[in-house]
Amino acid sequence: MKKRALLLIGALLLASCASLPDIRPVADEKTTCPSPFPAQKIRFIHTIEAVMAGKTKASMIGVTLADPVSRTISCAVMSPEGMVLFDALRGPSGLSVNRALPPFDAADFARNMMDDIELIFFEPRGALARKGVLAKGEAVCRRHEDPGGWIDVWEDHDGRVHIRRYSEGGRLQRSVTLTGGPANAYAAIDLQASEWIGYSLSMTLIESETVQNETQMKE
Amino acid sequence: MIIKGIAMKRTGLLLLMTLLVPATIARADDFDRLSRESSRISTISADFVQKKIMKILSKPLISEGKFYYAAPDSIRWEYQKPLRSVVLSDKGKTKRYIASGGKMIEDKTGGAQAMKIVLDEVAGWMKGKFTGNPSFTAVLREGANTQIILTPVGKNMAGMIEKIEITVSRKDASVKSVRIVESATAETRIDFLHVAINQHIPPSVFQDVP
Repeated sequence: MKKRALLLIGALLLASCASLPDIRPVADEKTTCPSPFPAQKIRFIHTIEAVMAGKTKASMIGVTLADPVSRTISCAVMSPEGMVLFDALRGPSGLSVNRALPPFDAADFARNMMDDIELIFFEPRGALARKGVLAKGEAVCRRHEDPGGWIDVWEDHDGRVHIRRYSEGGRLQRSVTLTGGPANAYAAIDLQASEWIGYSLSMTLIESETVQNETQMKE
Repeated sequence: MIIKGIAMKRTGLLLLMTLLVPATIARADDFDRLSRESSRISTISADFVQKKIMKILSKPLISEGKFYYAAPDSIRWEYQKPLRSVVLSDKGKTKRYIASGGKMIEDKTGGAQAMKIVLDEVAGWMKGKFTGNPSFTAVLREGANTQIILTPVGKNMAGMIEKIEITVSRKDASVKSVRIVESATAETRIDFLHVAINQHIPPSVFQDVP
């Protein structure tokens, strides 16, 4: 009985893993992984357009302060009128939500939002599992996250960087496209969430600045 | 939390309206006179610059927009930069528009309904009901400028607003600024420019979002 169950699980895993895009190895082992991610502490201010079920649900202003060294993120989301709807920080010591007005106070919202922000702004920290090229020849690196899951990062021939997060079983969970190009990858960001209730975010840069000698804040 | 949100929006709008009252009124010694003078206003239009100060920002986030009022209850509150949004209230109907793909689309999420409650109260203010909001105590303070200080009553706005300060110039009788203090590290300051009182505003301003 146990053998059967294991075989079944193995077969299911195998089948689901098949949905991960194929990566062909390349002869040149020195090929570098695409890395648009900030190397130092930086502040971004974006407009954010949130779409659910194909309809725009909200337009907001988002402020993100990302420190890749300590992997700490502060973020605030405001209405166009300047009302702070959400304000939180996540770092090595955990998540701290300073303000969350409806609908930002929904269960797991803060954690999911911080996961999305990390995916966009921080280099994946999982072990490099595969390096090579995709079907159309784009250089790609695949990392295995702990806890489980896979993150692919590749750059297409137009200079756009793509980040995909998959479940351990290979189900696509998030698609991020940095459409700003090599000069400023974060000038425009598209995020698609493939969940039971999917959503997408379109972010357009208002301004950014590198940050020095500024303590990560907690309101 | 929804109530808190509505109360905050209401506060912001009440503040805007207070700010745009002519300075001759703001210098009055008591709110009865302020109320009487306010009822003479038929229209208001102004530009505004809003500075949002938060600890996460190294410098204020600047927003710019336009504000219009026409008695008895028509309002257009429009942010133009960095993200456009428009709230229209006219003949008992309130609509909110947000930017989407370069166009303005109506916000159908219920935000407009909350805004209707807010703007209805603002319209009451414009008819002279300045002390009708039990959520705040109001104090007039004279100095180099005239200051109106609104302080929340009770705990409904705890953690949301500490106080609101409206500054009116005594020198040239113009309203200068409003400051909404949310906490020790967060506040919103709005400076008004080019304020015009009782000048004609086309009705379409309160009906259309081009």
